[in-house]
Amino acid sequence: MVALAGCDSSPTPTNSLGLNSRYNDEQPALSGDGRWLAFVSNRNGSNQIAVYDLRQRRFVDLPGLNQSSAIAQNPSLSLTGRYITYIINDRGRPEISLYDRETQQSEILSQRYSSWVRNPKISPDGRYVVFETARRGQWDVEVLDRGPNIELDVPDGSPVQ
Amino acid sequence: MIGSKHWVLLLLTAVLSGCGGYPRLLNFSFDAGGRGLNSPASELSPQIASRYIAFVSDRNGSQDVYLFDAENRKLIDVPGLNSLDAIASNPAISQDGRYIVYSNSRQGNSEIELYDRETQIARTLTGRIQAEVRHPTISAEGSAIAFEVATDGQWDIMVVDRSGNALDIPGMPKE
Repeated sequence: MVALAGCDSSPTPTNSLGLNSRYNDEQPALSGDGRWLAFVSNRNGSNQIAVYDLRQRRFVDLPGLNQSSAIAQNPSLSLTGRYITYIINDRGRPEISLYDRETQQSEILSQRYSSWVRNPKISPDGRYVVFETARRGQWDVEVLDRGPNIELDVPDGSPVQ
Repeated sequence: MIGSKHWVLLLLTAVLSGCGGYPRLLNFSFDAGGRGLNSPASELSPQIASRYIAFVSDRNGSQDVYLFDAENRKLIDVPGLNSLDAIASNPAISQDGRYIVYSNSRQGNSEIELYDRETQIARTLTGRIQAEVRHPTISAEGSAIAFEVATDGQWDIMVVDRSGNALDIPGMPKE
């Protein structure tokens, strides 16, 4: 089993049958539609973000999200699970990152934000991200607007605006 | 020509970007009297769904759940949610603004509770679970609730419906 897992190049913990493992599975986040569950799992020997499809009962691949050199934590999901925000520790500094499952790309949203950040959560439509900031020397709430030109995460089959 | 939408955006624009691009921060005014999103006390674990931002704050001397209406820029009352003898943590609200889940710690015992803004009643979802529970969240459409359970010496994740019944998913912890 260990040897098999070693051959698996996928960084997502898909080599497990059930949702939970005998390692820590924590920080659950649900997509707005209730179908997808994102969480942090230690089952592959490092802290990684996993996304589980509660309808089809299987893990999904997240190519490019988990990197062996960084710790990702505090995932949150938009309405259909298209956008995932999370904290990535980038050379000792936590940054808010956004992964788009459509493009399989991630981008840092907090690059130009100089204060310490924690616990980001994305709105169901994917436009806003709330997070904790240490800007005034204590934890406060800040709201980031990704702007009117992003592709909103809307339900399947809804008309294109 | 400046339309009303542009005017609103101008008001909201803040310090994140000097060059007028996105992403940018929304500017919710700070209120020393504790009636705004931020206060002189600490604000923790914010979550956003449509116009609602749920978070906890100790601005009134105990750690309670607060609900902020980002559209009307004011707090919304949640009567019957907070109690004097409990520490509330990690709130999350459904996008229709009706259901708020959070964890409540009372006399060393933590439970996941579901508050219904329509009935103004909070119910415990985890009364049958002996293990420690924490970090709840609710899906935006309000049907699924997930949280952590301390089972067999590590944290596992449990997903339940609004009545607290576990979804039929392989690997779910037993109650």
